[in-house]
Amino acid sequence: MSLLVANGITKRFAGITAVENANIALDAGERVGLIGPNGAGKTTLFNCLLGLLRPDAGSVSFDGQDITRLPVYRRARLGIGRTFQRVELFSGSSVRDHLLFAHRIRSGTGALWKDVLGLGLPMPAEIERCDALLESLGLGGMGDEPIEALSLGQSRLVEVARALMTQPRVVLLDEPSSGLDRDETNALADTLARIQAEQGFGLLLVEHDVELVASFTERTYVLDFGKLITHGSTPDVMRDPEVRAAYLGDFVAGTQ
Amino acid sequence: MTASILAAGVLEDTIRAFFQGLPIGAGFALVAMSFVLTYKTSGVFNLAFGAQAFISAATYFELHVRRDWPIWSAVLMAVVLVAPLLGLLLERLIFRHVHASSAVAKLVISLGLLVALPELFKLIVDYNREQPFGAVGIIPDGTTVYRLFGRYPVTRDEIAAFVIVVAAALALAALFRYTRLGLRIRAVVQSPRMTELNGVNADWVSSGSWMLSSFFAGLAGVLLVPTTSSLGTVLEPTGFFPIVISALAAAALGRLVSLPAALFGGLLLGVVTTQMRTHVPRDNVILAELQGPALPYVMLFAIIVFWPAIRRQVAGADPLLGVSPPPPALAATSRGRGMTIYTRIMALAFFTAVGVWTFAYANNFWISRITHSVIFSIIFLSIVVFTGLGGQIALCQVTFAAIGAFGAMQFAQRWDISVIVGMVAGAAIAAAVGAVLSIPVMRLGGIWLAIATLAFALFFHDVLVKYSWVGGSLFHGRGVPRPEFLGVDFSSRENFLILCIAILVLVGVLVILIRESSTGMALRALRGSETAAESIGVISWRSRVIVFSVSAAIAAIGGGLLAMEERLVGYEANFDPQTGLFWLVIVVVLGARTVEGGIQAGVAFVIFPELVLDRWLGLHGAWRYVLFGFAAISFARHPEGLLEHGKRRSQVMMQRMFSRRQPAVAAAAAGSGVDAGLDTGAAPGDEP
Repeated sequence: MSLLVANGITKRFAGITAVENANIALDAGERVGLIGPNGAGKTTLFNCLLGLLRPDAGSVSFDGQDITRLPVYRRARLGIGRTFQRVELFSGSSVRDHLLFAHRIRSGTGALWKDVLGLGLPMPAEIERCDALLESLGLGGMGDEPIEALSLGQSRLVEVARALMTQPRVVLLDEPSSGLDRDETNALADTLARIQAEQGFGLLLVEHDVELVASFTERTYVLDFGKLITHGSTPDVMRDPEVRAAYLGDFVAGTQ
Repeated sequence: MTASILAAGVLEDTIRAFFQGLPIGAGFALVAMSFVLTYKTSGVFNLAFGAQAFISAATYFELHVRRDWPIWSAVLMAVVLVAPLLGLLLERLIFRHVHASSAVAKLVISLGLLVALPELFKLIVDYNREQPFGAVGIIPDGTTVYRLFGRYPVTRDEIAAFVIVVAAALALAALFRYTRLGLRIRAVVQSPRMTELNGVNADWVSSGSWMLSSFFAGLAGVLLVPTTSSLGTVLEPTGFFPIVISALAAAALGRLVSLPAALFGGLLLGVVTTQMRTHVPRDNVILAELQGPALPYVMLFAIIVFWPAIRRQVAGADPLLGVSPPPPALAATSRGRGMTIYTRIMALAFFTAVGVWTFAYANNFWISRITHSVIFSIIFLSIVVFTGLGGQIALCQVTFAAIGAFGAMQFAQRWDISVIVGMVAGAAIAAAVGAVLSIPVMRLGGIWLAIATLAFALFFHDVLVKYSWVGGSLFHGRGVPRPEFLGVDFSSRENFLILCIAILVLVGVLVILIRESSTGMALRALRGSETAAESIGVISWRSRVIVFSVSAAIAAIGGGLLAMEERLVGYEANFDPQTGLFWLVIVVVLGARTVEGGIQAGVAFVIFPELVLDRWLGLHGAWRYVLFGFAAISFARHPEGLLEHGKRRSQVMMQRMFSRRQPAVAAAAAGSGVDAGLDTGAAPGDEP
């Protein structure tokens, strides 16, 4: 049984079927891609997995537990982390605060009485942990920077770091390459691959940058007009004629 | 036979109530359309509209009743000249410069103006030199009664109001739909910067629409005098409040953006009001209240909470908003160690000096003033929690403070229980009320939360406080004792002041602990981005409930202490909802993000009018409303508060002075991230 399973997800918006009967499975330690042209339903499916949307049919399960009806924060607490296509950071907070919040919410009880008695203040050990993760993502020494001072690439790394601080078992990345140039994308991919190898969480990458998916993932699902048209090992998928016709077109032909 | 006569009677009552309801509804509709117009044209939820309406009505009153101007010239002056001019001034001097600010910042400014404008007007024309008694309408012989279909009575005033409102609605609709100006106005609302990129002068469009909406406000002001019960009575700004609330409800039906919805919503609410008065039995206490003062507030609250369009509405963001510089960090977090020690020594020295003076030399008057400042500091910390920490605006802290005051009073008088226990019980009740209130308004953001809480505060003020189990008997709240506990008698002024200071320190430490701990982290995350906060597991409803109840409890403790200090619950003087608006304004203007800011606001609220205005400048105490009301304008530019802004500037200055003496150290410091953040933080706010 896979860790994160979407079974027969269907989602309609006012008569338009955005996703139809989609099945996806993700194991711990795996790197999986979900690709498709614009409007294919990637983000809809993604939001159904995260709980931002409730599917009209089908179910989502995590570690054998049905989570179809759980709200976003419950899924997060079970161990589903995410990043955002349009960066969502906590404005007005420092870089380290982002990690500290995530860590505290994951590990602390958040009980008000503890806060009132002064037991909820950040511990030196917590701050060390945050700084260690920042260091390993190449953001060492930036802990005190206000979040607004960061470049887009750095912001995406902070989002990754924030997700990682919740000790996720799977991380869902929503188009991490958007807004980044090729070098920045490669740097992000390298860092992600290294951290993922160290920590062993499952990674689902929703992307339209096919080059990134081709180099980064082991398996790939292809979505078109709301339907999964194929899935399999990434090299096989990239060679699939139906996929090339639907989406990849000249790119794959050009690389061969 | 009897049944059919009865049915005919009911039908006739219903029709009569319908015709009585339409003019009342027309009044609501006119105000509602002005709300929509202002919101559509400037993105400002202009609560100051009530003040603008009052100014036109009062100008008309001053000219026509007191100075015997003929009706036409007084109307010309009040509605055609004064009102648009006021709109133009507001736009030019204030709202043009805050267009990119958040809806909440604009709301705070309009609250400031709501408090400041009528006071300024009264001071300028010396309006209160005698009671403004005997308000009249603008229609000659307006009370003449006609009979529709030979049986349903309507007055000339009512017919005029209805016709003018419908005509105004049609004219506005045509303007928006068919003219270039209408199109440009709609574009400017979305993003003035974007519109300018398309070659439209956004400032000009904005000025025009403000003059128009202000003209509407003035028209509503003079028209509404006879349709409200204030005809022939005292003309005061508070008289416009219930009608503004009903109009808000009507405007809310169209999510503040639909003019037709505002028009029909206004008419509908007018008819509903009169039908309720006609048909709902009065034998039940709650039903009887619903026909009276409670109705507008209940309607407004219900519409905001249950109207699906509002729940779905997300605040539209200017697509070019990212151009603006990010908000700077707190000065205290970015200053160096030496500066922190220096600041603390100075603060300690200052408080020691004030303390020595108070206990050794001050007379009773000044001890009482200082006790008041300490108590208001405690109350204002509840605003620091809700607005500074929670990032949202509630306008019902005054209600929670009143609950604390009444709690202390009720427990002491009814059951002879220690007043301290009563205060704590009052705080617990307020926390429970806050928690319950937080549930229906859970998903509301920004201005809607502010309006819903205002409706609750007004409901408490006009309905609940009259019940003896809340507000006590007719001479309510007399004889609240000072406490005696832990074997100490706190009845003397000095001892009670010490008790208040101890509680202030306790509450202040509590607020800091909450801010720096898990609860505060979750709140800061939610304030930064609710979506992202939930993605890391923050439970937003839980944080909301905590913020509501903690801030309610703090306000209630302050309210209880205030009752003990004054030895009575001075409800009208201390806990009026309009006073609550001023509380919010003064705290956010001076700095809602820090405990220090709350304390400074408390001191400013009490000492400033006494010391600076009265003794040093010899000005009327009402000037404090004017000064702080207009200071609300600064909120958009310095959302961190004026004092925080000042602190940051002086910090930069001192660091520059310091760096001249020790260039090597300064150069090293300039390279570090902390100082870089500080410099960029201070720079954007410097230029007005």
